[in-house]
Amino acid sequence: MKIAVCAKQIPDPAIAVSYEGGAISRPEEQVLDDTDRYGIEVALQLKEKFDAEVIVLSMGKLGTQKGIQQALQMGADKALVIEDDSLVNANSLMTSNVLSSMAKSAEADVIIFGTESSDGYSGVVPQQVSRYLNLPCISYVKGIEINDDTILTRQTITGSEKVTMPDKCVISVTASGVEPRYPNFKDIMAAKSKPVEVISISSIELTAIQNQEFVEINSISSDKSGEKHIDEGNSFNLIIEKLKEIKAI
Amino acid sequence: MKSLIIGETSKGTLSQGTLEIAGKLQSEGLDFHLVVIGSEDNPKIGGDTFNATYLKINSEELTLSSVADNINKIIKENSINMILASSTYIGRDITGFLSVDLNSSPVSNVVNFTLSGDDVMTTNSIDGGESEYITKVTSDYKLLIIRPKSFEPAEILLNENYESINIESNELTTSVYDVFVEEKTGPQLDDSKIVISAGRGMVEVDNLKYINELALKLNAAIGGTRAIVDAGWMPYSQQVGQTGKTVKPDVYIACGISGATQHQVGMKDSKYIIAINKDEEAPIFQIADLGIVGDTLNIIPKLIENL
Ligand SMILES: Cc1cc2nc3c(=O)[nH]c(=O)nc-3n(C[C@H](O)[C@H](O)[C@H](O)COP(=O)(O)OP(=O)(O)OC[C@H]3O[C@@H](n4cnc5c(N)ncnc54)[C@H](O)[C@@H]3O)c2cc1C
Repeated sequence: MKIAVCAKQIPDPAIAVSYEGGAISRPEEQVLDDTDRYGIEVALQLKEKFDAEVIVLSMGKLGTQKGIQQALQMGADKALVIEDDSLVNANSLMTSNVLSSMAKSAEADVIIFGTESSDGYSGVVPQQVSRYLNLPCISYVKGIEINDDTILTRQTITGSEKVTMPDKCVISVTASGVEPRYPNFKDIMAAKSKPVEVISISSIELTAIQNQEFVEINSISSDKSGEKHIDEGNSFNLIIEKLKEIKAI
Repeated sequence: MKSLIIGETSKGTLSQGTLEIAGKLQSEGLDFHLVVIGSEDNPKIGGDTFNATYLKINSEELTLSSVADNINKIIKENSINMILASSTYIGRDITGFLSVDLNSSPVSNVVNFTLSGDDVMTTNSIDGGESEYITKVTSDYKLLIIRPKSFEPAEILLNENYESINIESNELTTSVYDVFVEEKTGPQLDDSKIVISAGRGMVEVDNLKYINELALKLNAAIGGTRAIVDAGWMPYSQQVGQTGKTVKPDVYIACGISGATQHQVGMKDSKYIIAINKDEEAPIFQIADLGIVGDTLNIIPKLIENL
């Protein structure tokens, strides 16, 4: 079995996202999106059971490749990466087009994602990739049990449901479904010698187009000048008074 | 602009998110075709002012790719050019599929939109709601995924007059089992007038008993931050924020919540925000109408006692 797991390098999430002409500003050093750690964990659990090969697919500014290394440190076998000027500020469909093409050339049976990236959070790339590749889409997976079959638990609006994982499919994994592993020193050293292959845009048949023009960013003056009080033991009264004042009680 | 809403059922009628999109289109004076996805029998989803098609799915199958095929047909037959869905699990799946068929990338997390000739201008909320990001969608097909609570719901007298299609499975259909429906009792996050949310500043999971008691006294729904959901204090269905629910109650009481932008996105439009946090500098105070700098574990028990 071959498993492709899509992973994105993002700016340090502790710092607020900033924009340059509508595109997210990307420093040389970006990190692995935490959201993707859940997908990688699922891929690695499948690898352990079925002796699969796990290939990281990543699109975007490469920079120092710190985030790619972090994915390999967790235990993926190799990475295919792509960076091109024409893909800066790519919309979700262009991204899916590229990732689908990479998954195909990697001959992946199962393609795993987080549900949405932390910086762009369009939240539709796994679905689009499944459609491009004509594979079943098992979205919002929040649990996995691997026995002879692999049982996936999906989050739904009313609760949850289970499906048996098809041999070939696309999966998106929600945060909190599995516990992503931490690499140890040995894993970190081992990652350095794992192959990272840079794919050329010319090998990809890009049919998706840019259909979104950035117009502007406006700051919304928040006219909220709320009151703030230091509690001296009776601020509960203040809360009750306010609740009465606004007729909430 | 010929519009189509991808709607969903809830308790035998249209979901809140569907009604919100219908409300926006009505207020813009735009006609729409409504397709509704659900597994219930004979829901009330039709109306006098629009055409509705019910796409009935089998709750024991995951077959949304087949649903998307049907919707694609309806789009073509009715020369639709704008397609709108609510940002739900189903809405995102279907819009994702259709975007490939129509070769048009969707705009996600839309909180507002306006028409400008043949183009659509969409608004996204960024920086925890402190800025808005405007995009012009220029393709023939425009796909918009709308964040819940962005628009006032339409007031429509709903009936049972609509076309109904039973969705057939296809080669991508997967069977589903062990369908678990979460018990929902008491006030719900989506429509409760008061929401009380807990964060890591409740210190220990046991202290959520205070949140429960307060909620009972105020007839409020209970939410939480991702930090405490990840810690297993609360189910995911109660998470408020970017990756959870969006709420817009009359009163939101944030108890021991720092107010990260990803949390704010889900609650900043509440009418009146009360925050209790021991850190005077906590970002939640920037959006609070009433901020109390103090210990949740001192203040909340007294509040309960005196209500
Ligand atoms: C991609 C992404 C998506 C995310 N989505 C969400 C989301 O949907 N929802 C969400 O909530 N978060 C989300 N987050 C996480 C978010 O960034 C914050 O980490 C989270 O909201 C913090 O939760 P918290 O306020 O409970 O915890 P903390 O940030 O740890 O804050 C705890 C607060 O409690 C206060 N406190 C501690 N003890 C006391 C006490 N005794 N009395 C009073 N106050 C006290 C502290 O001063 C502090 O301000 C997301 C993050 C990312 C990267």
